Amino acid sequence: MKQLVLILSLVSFVLGSEYSVIISKKVPISTLTSQEVRDAFLQKRHTIKDQKLIPVNVIGEDTLRIAFESLVLEMDRNRLNAYWIKQHFQGVTPPITQPSAESVKAFVQNVEGAMGYIPATMVDNSVKVVYEF
Amino acid sequence: MIVRKVCALIGLTALAIADPYTLGQGISLGDSLTVGGYFSTEYDAKPNKKNLSVEDVAIMAYGDINSMFSYFGELESVGFYNKSLLNGDEKRNFTFRIERLYSDMWMSDAFNIRFGKQITPIGYWNKEPVNVLRDTTSNPLYSTLLFPRFLTGIDINGYVPNTQGLKYHLFGQNNHDFDDEYVNIPNTHFFGISVEKELNDELSGGGSVGEYITFTNQKTRYMQVSSKFDDGTWQFLGEALAAKSEYTNNQQGSALSGYLQGMYRYTSEHAVVGRYEYFNDHHSLYKDNIGVLGYSYRPLYPVSLKGEYQWHSLNSENRLLFSFSVLF
Repeated sequence: MKQLVLILSLVSFVLGSEYSVIISKKVPISTLTSQEVRDAFLQKRHTIKDQKLIPVNVIGEDTLRIAFESLVLEMDRNRLNAYWIKQHFQGVTPPITQPSAESVKAFVQNVEGAMGYIPATMVDNSVKVVYEF
Repeated sequence: MIVRKVCALIGLTALAIADPYTLGQGISLGDSLTVGGYFSTEYDAKPNKKNLSVEDVAIMAYGDINSMFSYFGELESVGFYNKSLLNGDEKRNFTFRIERLYSDMWMSDAFNIRFGKQITPIGYWNKEPVNVLRDTTSNPLYSTLLFPRFLTGIDINGYVPNTQGLKYHLFGQNNHDFDDEYVNIPNTHFFGISVEKELNDELSGGGSVGEYITFTNQKTRYMQVSSKFDDGTWQFLGEALAAKSEYTNNQQGSALSGYLQGMYRYTSEHAVVGRYEYFNDHHSLYKDNIGVLGYSYRPLYPVSLKGEYQWHSLNSENRLLFSFSVLF
């Protein structure tokens, strides 16, 4: 796992940010810290900067999701699974999922407060980038 | 007949839109309903006691009512089945009690309200009180004897603005518990403040102060601190509490307790756990030093098999514990 994080970090350093965390253009947030993104996707916070957020994951073990979990959440699947099981006992469920980066982008465009991550190459002026990794 | 058909149709519709089931994360029937539960079985052996029990059986349901309100309900039967392996005596308790029943009102980053019966937001151990989530079968005495584990009241909580993740709880109860027989310290007055700060992804700490008055008019004020380090391989957990009590006969007493627990996970399934606990209640003259050495095996995270041995300075309390528990 540490090797994967190292490789992904190295690729990100050499090539620049590969992925972007995006949000609807209607939302009055311009940037988020990695901690704020992490808190939102771990459902620790329902609102950030007084904006209700709806985090959206890509379903399954897509490379995009693995990269997000490694570089932003900094958790491997075992640790993340244990985390969500503990949260289930507290009445907290994982973020909703979408089948692809395209559908994440469409969801973010159409649902106010939705926040997802997509490859940086897919970003256009229909969404707002609040964090890059 | 019509009711059955309607129920079957609702069930099929719900399953059709449900997310795939993951053991330990409940069955989700959309945002408004997730259903789950847990059970645990225990083997407890002391010099004069050998018991086999189905200790906890619980079902829980939770979900969002709308974007501002959510709910949580849990029913639990404690001591569901108990058999003495020394004399063959059996006890059954199929009565389910309200373990938790509350609603959350999500207002902002800094201000949210939880009202109803809930786990008291003190420390780490108390927030994960079920066998399957713990790394030892037993609880430290600290977590069961010195403060009410549940609160039937209100908890105002959120992140303190401009503090980079300092979370607070202001909680209070000024009434009876939902079920006075099903709380470790029955009381009608319980107020407190808790704070918790994540220093980084691995290290966090916090503390709490509060006051409660029991049915016997014992007035107790406490101060608690806790800290946790977890890097995925090693986990260190420490909590301590000092309490001062006034009794109806004008007597005063104090209590001090704390524990340090270390755990080494050498694979994601296997872990070795050690704990030392100090407990000293000057009023009841109950003083003990407890060492625990345990082993935890989780073939899957929500399936837990644990064994431990406890050494007590009160030698009659030495015990061997095994448990099997599942969260579903």
